Amino acid sequence: MNDALMTGGQGDVDKGAEGNVTAKDVVMRYGNIMALDHLSMEIPTGIVGLLGPNGAGKSTFIKAVLGLVEPQGGTITVGGLDSRQNVLTIRDKVGYMPEHDCLVEVMTGVELVSYFGMISGMSKNDSIPRSHEVLDFVGIGEERYRPISSYSTGMKQRVKLAQAIVHDPNLLFLDEPTNGMDPLGREEMLDLIERIAAGHKSILVSSHILQDMERVCEHVIIINNGRAVAQGSLKNLLGAQEGRMKLVARGVPEDLAPFVKYLEREQRVISTSEEHGQVTVVLILRGPSGDIFAAAKNAGVQVRSLTADLSTLEEVFIRSV
Amino acid sequence: MGLDPIRYKPWIGQRTEHAKRFLVITDHVFRHKLRSKWLLGIIVLGSILVWVFPILIFSLSPHDSLTTEMMLETLQNDLLFIFVLIAASLVCADLISEDLRGNSLVLYLYRALRPERYLLGKVLGALLVMSLFTFIPPIALGIAVTATQTGPDYAASAEVIARTVLAAVLTTIFFVPMGMMLSSFTTKRTYAAVGIFMFFFTMTIVAGIFSESDINWQLLGPGNLLNYWYDVIFGETLPKGLSSAGIAIMTFLLLVPPLMVTYWRILSKGVGK
Ligand SMILES: Nc1ncnc2c1ncn2[C@@H]1O[C@H](COP(=O)(O)OP(=O)(O)OP(=O)(O)O)[C@@H](O)[C@H]1O
Ligand SMILES: [Mg+2]
Repeated sequence: MNDALMTGGQGDVDKGAEGNVTAKDVVMRYGNIMALDHLSMEIPTGIVGLLGPNGAGKSTFIKAVLGLVEPQGGTITVGGLDSRQNVLTIRDKVGYMPEHDCLVEVMTGVELVSYFGMISGMSKNDSIPRSHEVLDFVGIGEERYRPISSYSTGMKQRVKLAQAIVHDPNLLFLDEPTNGMDPLGREEMLDLIERIAAGHKSILVSSHILQDMERVCEHVIIINNGRAVAQGSLKNLLGAQEGRMKLVARGVPEDLAPFVKYLEREQRVISTSEEHGQVTVVLILRGPSGDIFAAAKNAGVQVRSLTADLSTLEEVFIRSV
Repeated sequence: MGLDPIRYKPWIGQRTEHAKRFLVITDHVFRHKLRSKWLLGIIVLGSILVWVFPILIFSLSPHDSLTTEMMLETLQNDLLFIFVLIAASLVCADLISEDLRGNSLVLYLYRALRPERYLLGKVLGALLVMSLFTFIPPIALGIAVTATQTGPDYAASAEVIARTVLAAVLTTIFFVPMGMMLSSFTTKRTYAAVGIFMFFFTMTIVAGIFSESDINWQLLGPGNLLNYWYDVIFGETLPKGLSSAGIAIMTFLLLVPPLMVTYWRILSKGVGK
């Protein structure tokens, strides 16, 4: 586990906002499967990515916050309220898009969205115009008057999102929202998430599609085997390793080879790739960068660039789990 | 291609009380059921055969007042039992099973709606639909006969109507708990519908076979049980040797445990996948 990552980004946690979720030592067992193993985390406002491999406990955590499953231990608070004692108050402010199919297939899109809006406490007069509004927002057109059984997977995902936002929750849980969507649909879904977040919402998005998370999340929590293994702002997580640089150098192969040898000896090299007389080396500096330029000059190699290298979320993820 | 860039708009409005939200479900069940052609067909056909004829015959033929005999004759008609049973099977079959099949139970339960309120909403919806066949017509019969009576004794008629209300309530609720339970056991509405019908039908057959040896076996048959209740409600004497405790126990078994089991099924299935 990476200590630098665990502490990274805690400073920018926005405390006291209505949507904030705090989990302390949450334990959830299914028989002898430990789905959540003393999980502690803090979810700030904004778009937060909940990342983890299959079976990590992402969906279980969301269900625990919603009170759909009862954890055996630990406490969860939402906006400062205890998730067990204030279930109804919390739930009026929460929207949830489950991972799997959950729509009533015999209803039409607009019927379903307005119906669940009313169950969340909207009057009929509020709920019907509002459901048209959110269906417009998620991009469901005239199809809204057809039964949901005739919808494509992408359309169902949109309706699932619509039912989650119809009652205007402050806190939104999206469990794998881009599941089963084509690249364009995925883009649009991410776009929708960003637009919802623009209205001061907390959105927890669970996913294992890292590019998606990298695009929309401000804050990331990585969980594995029911534990939070890394959490922090995306910026901090990605820049977590100081002194990580990317070096691009050109020269004839005979000159490049000893230069690379020198780098491997004197610096901490993470990766090297070479093509057409150009090497790209990712390394962590051990001394001043001047040393590298001097060595390059000696070897007769031309340094084209030496820049700070941000790790990708994928690398952080692989390192953490 | 692509979405129109619509901004997300917040909703500003007053929320309804938590405790009243189950009525949304009741309302939805009621409207949804009234769109079912099969169910409407059964209710209309059943009403003609069971209720319309007695209404016409009793109110058009000369009578002093509404009598217990008129009501008992109508209520203890085997056709009533059969039609109520079919109607209950059609009404209850998909109420829970549909939400289990599509996993939509989770969409209810993550909202500020307690599982027992969900169940209450569904049950009340079912009862409302059932009452179209089992509550309104018998009351209409009582009123029609009273309105056309030639004698002066309106008090006697009113008393019969009051007893009819009790009998009608019992008929309305009688099959619904078991129907809800069987609906919560499957994800296929046809299985549930056939299951509900077959359950009561089988009980009737079994009761018929064993009642040769002891009259109390009759109580296993829901139709018999209802008929004895009508006797009790209208103040008739029960056959000799029939146990009143047996009537109470069988009625309890048909009404209470099934609802508890349904509730437990909702709790255990509510988590979703
Ligand atoms: N209802 C259940 N009964 C028994 N075990 C369960 C149940 N739900 C989840 N689990 C177990 O709990 C663990 C965590 O599951 P969970 O669904 O939370 O993972 P996840 O991170 O959402 O995975 P995925 O990415 O596949 O959706 C898994 O080992 C799973 O098998
Ligand atoms: Mg999951």
